Amino acid sequence: MLIKTVDLWKTYTVGTETIHAVQGVSVEIEKGEYVAIMGPSGSGKSTLMNLIGCLDSPTRGEYHLNGRRVSAMSDDELAYIRNKEIGFVFQTFNLLPRASALHNVELPLIYNGTSSGERIRKAKEALKTVDLEDRMTHRPNELSGGQRQRVALARALVNNPALILADEPTGNLDTATGAEIMELFGRLHREGNTIIIVTHERDIAIYADRIFYLRDGKVEKEEDVRHIKNSGN
Amino acid sequence: MKIALQSLAANKLRAILTLIGVIIGVATVITVVSIINGMNDYVAREINSIGTTTFIIDKYGMITSEEEWIEAQKRKKITFADMKAIERYCPHCDLLSGSVYTRRRVKLGDKYLSDVDIVGTDENYIEVSDIDIDYGRGFIESDVKHNRTVAIVGPEVVENLLSGLDPIGKNIKVHDYFLRIIGVGKKRGSFLGMNKDNWVALPRTTFEKYFGSRRSVEIRIKAPDLLSMQLAQDETRMILRSRRGVKYNQEDDFGIYTAEAGMVLFRSFSAAAFFAMIGISSIALVVGGIVIMNIMLVSVTERTREVGIRKAIGAKRRDILWQFLVESVTLAAAGGLIGVLLGVILAGLVSELTPLPASVKGWSIVVGIAISSAVGIFFGVFPAVKAARLNPIEALRYE
Repeated sequence: MLIKTVDLWKTYTVGTETIHAVQGVSVEIEKGEYVAIMGPSGSGKSTLMNLIGCLDSPTRGEYHLNGRRVSAMSDDELAYIRNKEIGFVFQTFNLLPRASALHNVELPLIYNGTSSGERIRKAKEALKTVDLEDRMTHRPNELSGGQRQRVALARALVNNPALILADEPTGNLDTATGAEIMELFGRLHREGNTIIIVTHERDIAIYADRIFYLRDGKVEKEEDVRHIKNSGN
Repeated sequence: MKIALQSLAANKLRAILTLIGVIIGVATVITVVSIINGMNDYVAREINSIGTTTFIIDKYGMITSEEEWIEAQKRKKITFADMKAIERYCPHCDLLSGSVYTRRRVKLGDKYLSDVDIVGTDENYIEVSDIDIDYGRGFIESDVKHNRTVAIVGPEVVENLLSGLDPIGKNIKVHDYFLRIIGVGKKRGSFLGMNKDNWVALPRTTFEKYFGSRRSVEIRIKAPDLLSMQLAQDETRMILRSRRGVKYNQEDDFGIYTAEAGMVLFRSFSAAAFFAMIGISSIALVVGGIVIMNIMLVSVTERTREVGIRKAIGAKRRDILWQFLVESVTLAAAGGLIGVLLGVILAGLVSELTPLPASVKGWSIVVGIAISSAVGIFFGVFPAVKAARLNPIEALRYE
């Protein structure tokens, strides 16, 4: 079991109001799965993603990632987990604007003390996986949206993480480019990566094998969509 | 480290503007320290030129205020009889020389110098002063005994009145009286703008005959060695106190000046200047530090999203803290380096263009850069901690 959450709660206090963003979510995800988390805005899917991505700690409940109990970890331990086990892909790409594609991809390796030569070798390899080896020296503003998202994917892959976590990865892309990126996710999945995609679009969610529908902080239903993909393509 | 440097390089203009405070602070430190050092060397050489076994007695002593000057004016003059008494009753006084001073016009043919220092003295003068004979001879006992009309002159006098001529045997006119040159002193240069080569010495008996005997005498006394120095001073003091009728509970009504006392006085002046300088430059450094802190806070805010990205991919608090701290220290140290260069240039200009000497010391450069780095650390910690504490989720959402 790669991911196991048990009755996960996240509660915020905004002013005098208490918001239960995630209310008792229990999910299990196996290694090598391709999962989508779907829900309208305000359903708590971003909060759940932050919890699964170790960017945040739950108010209550347990979260095990790759055999480690993450829910009780300190900030710096979480930073270590994010570095080692998780590769993020964001809607807005979140690349460093002044750094080259290669340097952006190298970044996670800097924070785990990989030597300079090894960093460059791994970063080049990751860029090759996303077919961007000829754009290594370009800065993000010299790349198209699709290319930027592929740099972000390379960055997510470079540390060989247990989990790739994508938050609306096609949200800022046109349909055709979005489809390309989703093809790339599909390929990475076939190569053995575990992928979780957070989205509000069913068209995107059905690329996955399994969909969790989230509403009001709870998992409303779970759907196996492998048959759709198989019949569709 | 590399990350921090890259971000600095991307904002060169802003970085330089930020650094002006630190640059000015460090440049002030270097310039003033260099000038004080230069002055120290220079004045120390000058003060020590009278020698460690010689002391000088005069009516005034070391005057440091106007009140002291007015008070000292009222004192009884010191006479050649006083000197004779010291010579007789002071066993540790090896060599004595008494001098009287005035300023007169010196003329030769149609050339003249106004305001030349005229010294009436004796055969021991050369021995107890820092004047050396360049050529010719010094005074001998009989010159004084028979009030001969002979003179030893400073090199400036020779240069202005006798250039190209052999000065020995020439007659110069001091005020209204002719004196025959028997010797020329070595060049001593100038001290704080005062020319030390523009003088004429004649036997004190001749001096008194021409210019009167009402002047107070300056007595230079040489002890045989360093050990006898204090004894010689004590004996001299006792003799003068009793001759001048100073009561046991009154202070000396004359001054004893030694190179050591001169150094003590000078050091107290230069220490005051040093502390004033530290005050000025620390204000500049604090202002510079606050500007750095301000710019780092702006930088942290501007780069909130960058911090979010870095944290999301695994940067620990420590990593972010270091990044911003290295940036502010590099910034400040760069300012320190520019300040050091500017200070060295300024110190060079000062010693070129003004009579003030300046010598740049290696340690002051090290201190300049160390201080500016310390400013970078001190004022960089707060913004860096602020950056390190950012919540990654909020930082990523920041627009």
